[in-house]
Amino acid sequence: MPSSDPKLLWLFGSAALVSQLLKTMGDGSNNRGSGGGGNSEKPEWLQQYNLIGKIGEGTYGLVFLAKTKSPPSSRGKSIAIKKFKQSKDGDGVSPTAIREIMLLREITHENVVKLVNVHINHNDMSLYLAFDYAEHDLYEIIRHHREKLNHPINQYTVKSLLWQLLNGLNYLHSNWIVHRDLKPSNILVMGDGEEHGAIKIADFGLARIYQAPLKPLSDNGVVVTIWYRAPELLLGAKHYTSAVDMWAVGCIFAELLTLKPLFQGAEAKSTPNPFQLDQLDKIFKILGHPTQEKWPTLVNLPHWQSDIQHIQGHKYETNALHSVVHLSPKSAPFDLLSKMLEYDPRKRITAAQALDHEYFKMEPSPGRNALVPVQPGEKVINYPTRPVDTNTDFEGTTSLQPPQQMVSGNAMMAGAHGMGRGGPRPMHMGMQRMQPQGMAAYNLQAQAGMGGMNPGGMPMGRGVAQAHQQPHLRRKDPPMGAGYPPQQKSRR
Amino acid sequence: MADFQTSTHRAKWIFTPQQLVDKYRTTNQRAKQMLEKCGTTKMEVDADGSVTYPEPQATENSDKHSRPKSLSCEEEEFMRVYYEFKLREVCGAFYFPHKIQATALTYFKRFYLQWSVMEHDPKHIMLTCIYSACKIEENHVSAEELGKGISQDHQMILNYEMIVLQSLEFDLIVYAPYRPVEGFIHDIEDSSHAAEDQIQMFKDSATAEVDKIMLTNAPLLFTPGQLALAALRNANEVLGVVDFESYLQNILLRQSSEHTVPELINILDSIDSWVKKYKFPTERDMKHINRKLKSCWGHGSHDDKKREKKSKHKSHRSSHDSRNAPAPA
Repeated sequence: MPSSDPKLLWLFGSAALVSQLLKTMGDGSNNRGSGGGGNSEKPEWLQQYNLIGKIGEGTYGLVFLAKTKSPPSSRGKSIAIKKFKQSKDGDGVSPTAIREIMLLREITHENVVKLVNVHINHNDMSLYLAFDYAEHDLYEIIRHHREKLNHPINQYTVKSLLWQLLNGLNYLHSNWIVHRDLKPSNILVMGDGEEHGAIKIADFGLARIYQAPLKPLSDNGVVVTIWYRAPELLLGAKHYTSAVDMWAVGCIFAELLTLKPLFQGAEAKSTPNPFQLDQLDKIFKILGHPTQEKWPTLVNLPHWQSDIQHIQGHKYETNALHSVVHLSPKSAPFDLLSKMLEYDPRKRITAAQALDHEYFKMEPSPGRNALVPVQPGEKVINYPTRPVDTNTDFEGTTSLQPPQQMVSGNAMMAGAHGMGRGGPRPMHMGMQRMQPQGMAAYNLQAQAGMGGMNPGGMPMGRGVAQAHQQPHLRRKDPPMGAGYPPQQKSRR
Repeated sequence: MADFQTSTHRAKWIFTPQQLVDKYRTTNQRAKQMLEKCGTTKMEVDADGSVTYPEPQATENSDKHSRPKSLSCEEEEFMRVYYEFKLREVCGAFYFPHKIQATALTYFKRFYLQWSVMEHDPKHIMLTCIYSACKIEENHVSAEELGKGISQDHQMILNYEMIVLQSLEFDLIVYAPYRPVEGFIHDIEDSSHAAEDQIQMFKDSATAEVDKIMLTNAPLLFTPGQLALAALRNANEVLGVVDFESYLQNILLRQSSEHTVPELINILDSIDSWVKKYKFPTERDMKHINRKLKSCWGHGSHDDKKREKKSKHKSHRSSHDSRNAPAPA
């Protein structure tokens, strides 16, 4: 007669499934003992984590902060767990969850968020994705400077954040992955630890990162923002390329410089996919009207054609970008920014080209830890950590705790994550500059999968997934060539 | 789409012939032992996607001769071959593109590296693989629609979805040889003087060759690029578009590969041998196997009723209670 295997299997990590299944065969009764019964409230896989609280919420589900219990000696590793609800239409596993899993299973990069585990909760057929936790994101960092510190982010940090963002994006693009939803809240920054100050691109077109639960969603444009949307998308282009991500990077770069969103359009919400006239107007106001001269395919875009009187109603002739971002039109950062905000997606700078830009060759050089400046005298900012709602369980249901307990819970969190740790730590990393990674040696197998694209074995311009995990932050980068394939020029 | 070189496909799902033999033997043995211990090999998959294993029978209640016999490894292979063909028919009936069919086939092959056909009904798995492939290839078809199209219960597809995804270890991006074929042909086109219609024939013929290859075990043993080259070589033998050997030489040179032409030819030869070895079961074979399989699954006994009851009162307590009850003879 049948017996259940554990309700929750967890994958990856070990020789995984087969051994897991074999282990559960024939001794089902034992499994039942530990799996169900009295403590059925807490799923089996969850017992490897200590749940800290809820850190985010989106249409696809919830995001929790948890700590691993093993190894018992250490503090435990912080893990962000994203719960995907079953798809609403009763059609099985959420396609968005599947999309995110299948992409993240294939990619590994130091500047892309790392999927460490997938858990299945059979009770409600939901999937839980476990990621390495990043304490900060660009949204919170920018906000901290704007609202608390009232001073700009220092040059080194801006440059390092931008460099790493481009580094991760170059990897994605060379793997044919377009993010499509880059915005400050989707760009995470690692907190104190081995990878302190490292960018992690997150949310592959999926759930949104943290929303402060106390704030009404409508207050916060970041959830449904169109501010980072490229003009070709706004004008209704049917096909688009990785250039849409570069536009978003340009917007983010400007925001890092000024602490304000560059193109803060008001979103039209009448129909499911309305024409965003105001957003375009905000862009035109700063960059000047696009012309067919500069952007030949412009006239073919649906909205440009159909809405001539509105779009072309105002004529903004001049380009005011430099005065908005307070940069000299002749400076290197301005040159890079304006190349990212090029109207014609075909002329827009690529991630690979941007990494090679003059701006990154000038002092200060970008570094691995974007949050800790190179200059010894420079002030280190302790950024606030992500707010955690300690008042929920993994189902997302709020537990009935008295309010005092919530307060003390938050206080505990502040103690654990806030000012107490990681005081100023001057670091001397003057020589440390990350290099674009080289191409891997190209062999038959490399060609095999992509033969359709590139049967001739031509270099395909991809920075290969060489996650250089530095054992220690202070260590200098290994010289090129040590452990890396010979450097080859990427496609420009 | 990610890059094949760093893909899970390349890292985890390309095996040696011996590894395949071992895997098939292991699952076959496991099912066989289960049959001896439990009198059935069939796993139940519930609506929540969890798998239920048969339990050992309490007593030796039947003599050796009336015991159901398990399938041999060869018979299991026939089952897989049969349902892979069926899978293609179903995809054809829905006019799904090649890519979906190839993805579904790959899922099916990978699934039965982990399980015996005695444990999970290949008919259900075949449909679930198609359903999953549609989801992954952004060609979503609802389970209901899929089920309706072939008059099968769509709930069964949904039940199996999780176990299929799990058995694939969530490695869902797979690479088929169709795109490499196109790429190689573009490449050949550039350097040859073949007429347009000849190139089209070349492409059609190579695609047909890939179709054949995809029904063998070769996709578990070779990279998509190698499979594509094997298909192209066979197509070229008839059409003579290029001097194939010098073309191989040319590719290896351009990518400064460590492989030599003889090595590559060796690989292509072994892919061919898989195609030549391909054997589709006769109707008689299938009748025999299906009869054996039915007895492995214990159909037509009290088991069915019992299972029905179980699924209605699926609680730990009830299954705990019934464990002490005497097993049905």
